[in-house]
Amino acid sequence: MSRLIIANRRGHQVLEWDTALDTEETREAIAEAERIINDARQRGCAVSRKVEGQHVLDKGRFDPEAEEYQIIAPIAGG
Amino acid sequence: MARFFDWLFRRQLELPVPVTDRAIELPWTQHWYHIPKRTAGWDFREEDYQAARINARIVAKDTLGADAWNQVRRTGYIDVPSRRFPGLSYRLRVGRRIEVRTRPGVDSPWPFPYLCINPVYPLPEEEFFAHLYLYARDFEDEIIRVGAPQPWDQRLGRTF
Repeated sequence: MSRLIIANRRGHQVLEWDTALDTEETREAIAEAERIINDARQRGCAVSRKVEGQHVLDKGRFDPEAEEYQIIAPIAGG
Repeated sequence: MARFFDWLFRRQLELPVPVTDRAIELPWTQHWYHIPKRTAGWDFREEDYQAARINARIVAKDTLGADAWNQVRRTGYIDVPSRRFPGLSYRLRVGRRIEVRTRPGVDSPWPFPYLCINPVYPLPEEEFFAHLYLYARDFEDEIIRVGAPQPWDQRLGRTF
């Protein structure tokens, strides 16, 4: 099971998919996750990926097999 | 308007809708300038704040990892050593400005000991703390680029 964590004022919300299941629902969830990540990056967000149990900021292409992604809020001074 | 008065007078207090049952909010698609400091919006009730903070803690703990999270809970801060400036570290504390600390004999590149950095949209304090930790550890250049040096400590304005 893979998931995308979207941090927002609710704390966070999650989009999940399972690449082991070849279903329309899975394909839609993967496409939605990729769209959200690309859009967030274009608008200044960072993205972290869980690698060997640890979240690290990641600039790589979206990988549907990743265990977990997280959208990281853009930051501003003041 | 009715929702505002419900919020103001705490009327119709029902349990908040579980986060999983809501449409996903993508905060970078909205403008938040009109939201008062340290709030999440007029439609947020006390129950929503409580749910958001509980929800945020789960991800913050997972993002930092157990050791770092336990240190924050125990000491109230975590120090992230700079890779750009030898002898300098960033002291991160939940909901507060970054404290820039230097070893004796090391000069800070900033004129003041605190850096004010906020998220561009409202987030629970612990959620943003985890984000700031990742920036300081993995993308220090962004901290250097946006950090606003300040002479005193203060709560952040865009977290709650």
